[in-house]
Amino acid sequence: MTKWMNKPISELHDALVRKIVTPSELLEDCIQGIQEDKCNCFEATAFDEARKTAQSIKEVGPEDYLRGIPFLAKDNFSTKGIETTASSDILNGYVPLYDATVIAKLKRAGMILVAKTTMDELAMGGTGTTGHKGVTTNPYEHERIVGGSSCGSAAAIAQGIAPLALGSDTGDSVRKPASLSATVGFKCTWGRISRYGLFPFATSMDAVGFFTRNVLDSSHVLSVLSGHDRMDMSSSYRKKEKYESYVEKRKTLHRIGYFKAVMDGISDPVIRKSYVELLEKLKKRGYEVVEYDYPEKLLDALYPTYMILSCAESTSNNANLDGIRFGPKAEGESETYSDYMRKARTKGFSDLIKRRFVIGSFSLLSANQEEMFNRAQKARRLIVNEMNRFFDAVDYLLVPASYSKPKRIDSLSTAWSTKPDFLDNILTLGNFGGYPSLTLPLDFEDTLPFGVNITGRIFEDGYVMGLGKEIEDLTGLKDIVFKEGK
Amino acid sequence: MEFEPVIGVEIHVELKTKSKMFSSAPCSFGMEPNSETVPFDLAFPGTLPVVNKEAVNYGIKICTALNMTIDRTLYFDRKNYFYPDLPKGYQITQQFRPIGKNGFVVVTVDGKEKKIGVEQAHLEEDTAKQIHLNDISLVNFNRCGTPLLEIVSLPDMRSGEEAMKYVEAIREIVTYLGVSDGKMENGSMRCDINISLRPKGETRLGTKCECKNLNTIQNIRAAVDYEIERQSAILLSGGQVDQETRRYDENAKKTVLMRRKTDAIDYKYFREPNIVPIDLDEGFIYDCIHSMNKLPAQYRKELSGRGLDAYQIEELLKDREFVLYFEDCLDLGVKNPTTLWNLLMVEILGYLNKNGLSLKDIRPTKEQVVSLSDLLSTGAINSRQGKDVLSEMLTGGKDPLTIVKEKGMEQISDSASVEKVVEEVLAQNQQSVSDWQKGKDRALGYLVGQAMKKSQGKVNPALAKEKILAKIGPCGSKK
Repeated sequence: MTKWMNKPISELHDALVRKIVTPSELLEDCIQGIQEDKCNCFEATAFDEARKTAQSIKEVGPEDYLRGIPFLAKDNFSTKGIETTASSDILNGYVPLYDATVIAKLKRAGMILVAKTTMDELAMGGTGTTGHKGVTTNPYEHERIVGGSSCGSAAAIAQGIAPLALGSDTGDSVRKPASLSATVGFKCTWGRISRYGLFPFATSMDAVGFFTRNVLDSSHVLSVLSGHDRMDMSSSYRKKEKYESYVEKRKTLHRIGYFKAVMDGISDPVIRKSYVELLEKLKKRGYEVVEYDYPEKLLDALYPTYMILSCAESTSNNANLDGIRFGPKAEGESETYSDYMRKARTKGFSDLIKRRFVIGSFSLLSANQEEMFNRAQKARRLIVNEMNRFFDAVDYLLVPASYSKPKRIDSLSTAWSTKPDFLDNILTLGNFGGYPSLTLPLDFEDTLPFGVNITGRIFEDGYVMGLGKEIEDLTGLKDIVFKEGK
Repeated sequence: MEFEPVIGVEIHVELKTKSKMFSSAPCSFGMEPNSETVPFDLAFPGTLPVVNKEAVNYGIKICTALNMTIDRTLYFDRKNYFYPDLPKGYQITQQFRPIGKNGFVVVTVDGKEKKIGVEQAHLEEDTAKQIHLNDISLVNFNRCGTPLLEIVSLPDMRSGEEAMKYVEAIREIVTYLGVSDGKMENGSMRCDINISLRPKGETRLGTKCECKNLNTIQNIRAAVDYEIERQSAILLSGGQVDQETRRYDENAKKTVLMRRKTDAIDYKYFREPNIVPIDLDEGFIYDCIHSMNKLPAQYRKELSGRGLDAYQIEELLKDREFVLYFEDCLDLGVKNPTTLWNLLMVEILGYLNKNGLSLKDIRPTKEQVVSLSDLLSTGAINSRQGKDVLSEMLTGGKDPLTIVKEKGMEQISDSASVEKVVEEVLAQNQQSVSDWQKGKDRALGYLVGQAMKKSQGKVNPALAKEKILAKIGPCGSKK
């Protein structure tokens, strides 16, 4: 059991400033947590380098909010000198030459990178069971998933191993596992945080995200990570903000919307009750709560649209993994270059990944592109247009972040659903439109947590955080760490 | 049956930018293999493309010179295929919205002007270089990511000569703009040519062959002419031309099959999601256009206005350095451009070639060269003296006026002094005078020569000749 790492950043910072604890002591506490991990959260560790960094920090001033505090990063962030595989065999042994911008920024702020966390292979998946290190489990019940793809980051934060873990979110890869692990998971507006050094899955939807255990911590991290990066042309020039001020002053907008189809679709009575109660409490706090009739047809289109676009982009984004410049070499003799690449890729990718590549490639072939890829893009436009119409009238979309208990690992199937439930894919709305989106704990069903999700207009990340703080106070669920036997 | 060849040309121009198309790695040649790279060039996971503004600037300049419409928004697309020289597994190009569209170039073929349409020009990145050894293939990523502008013509050309002239015109434009070395032999300009034949009068296009590996301008004409002959032979014997990619074999002087088009790759193009469309600022476009170097066409017009003939102009245009030099001299107020041309393109160029030097290496200033040109064109010194003076200028770096004074070379051009010399010469050469009057025309040259000799070469020969004639009358007057 960790002594320090189960506390929020604000407390750790305070203790460091008052010299109650040293960065090295915090780090050793984190390392102990990693060694006692019960969920299979970790890929590589960087204890030596971390110890050196911790020792070099002599003083933490009141302004150095993040200095001296350990953090974790999903294994799809490029980390100089630390093996980075995105939990895929195709990248075994790959040690990057450069730090992702977010890693560099956190290091510059004085944070200490301690370990890389497990994920679904190449971030493609939502169960946390498909990485090359095997299944990452839910600390609340090891027979169940913690969700993915940022499974290791979510489970580590829930176990109190560190106060911050970076994740990435292309469909709901931060916000869904946050819901299943009683953590706070945030995905920024597309372009608010540089993606340089984040291994791409589906570029047009990929966003940097992170896990903390309260909203204030999240806002501080966003303040450090946001801003234009000359290495990422899609990062916004928009002025950086002090996002913590939205949380501290509880700056929010007024109108909260929910979708009628979502409300009608919630079948789990516990989740439904907590959700309705939250809306009521918000009303009482003076917010206007609005029902919106978002067309169900468009909600049903979320899954196929997401699948086609994400698979198409991923097949191209991962075409660099050919075994020539990095990653394991193809085995045996190869007659031709295509022979060589085929061997390396056949061995390096799991079948699930290959299936996605085949679908992505198929939808991009010139014979199919009009009917599949272009049509999916049109569907995306319709979905986003309708969301923007929603945001013309309403400031936030509030939905449950998960609709049942986390799935049991033995119940999982790799077959693709032919009749997907739109509720399982509702969070992809945030990626289609590039909106800022935050999941935080809502309640527990038996001993298993579920969260609520807030989505706001693009670049209103601060207001989303503000409402997050409001809800955090209403639920009273803050700084939750899984405790054995609770 | 008579066939009409239909020829279209695709040219890849390597842009001479400081850094690569989408990364900050330097563009340079002949460096240690794989030294000029950053993580993006090797497609390390997580790296992202950043559009090089200078390459866009160069692209706009070329498109403007080719009379094209510039797209006000820049879009980039991915061309997906696997190849060892393509680290990302895709090339970033402009498939759907090229930076330039609908332009033309005017070329002169057999003395007639012909307008050749340019369909589009798009920005893209170059691939790495592969070296195949016996049992291993090596890849050098230094070239990977070098900016390219691909210029696609309309199928407007009808002969090898026209295709050659078109490529020559583009080469001239890009080198004059200073945006590319434009050297076909080292690959900084690469051409692919599409050739098909159709019966004269037919409007539909025949099956085309693409021809690659044309590494000199002359090879373009040779390859096209060869293809025309090859394809007409096939058609005349009742056969069909296969759609093929062919390579020009310089030694055999013919094209050979590389691959058939049936194994064409599906490139699965789609918009590059890492580059959001870039709205080009009107101010940026204005600056690109207004910082363009003067183009050959404009020089042709200006120089012919200064009395140079077509041959002289073309000789000068072969090297932009000489045109700029010439232009500067004109600006310094040189009195006779033709005299200057002779001085620069015969005397000075000869000296440079002999010594393996370039214009910027020579000692005399432009002011001194102009002053020498004026001494010659006003007759202050004669051409033989001019050569001596130039040679002193080139070796000693002295001013021509000083040299002329030191050597006492100033010509005697005042009437009285010349008259005096002429009178003496005529008095001493009565025989020659009577020879002349009896009709021996060579006697005049002799007399002028004597006048030169008597004055140690200083007398103005033209003036001396005039005076002699005035005294001895026309040739054969006393026959």
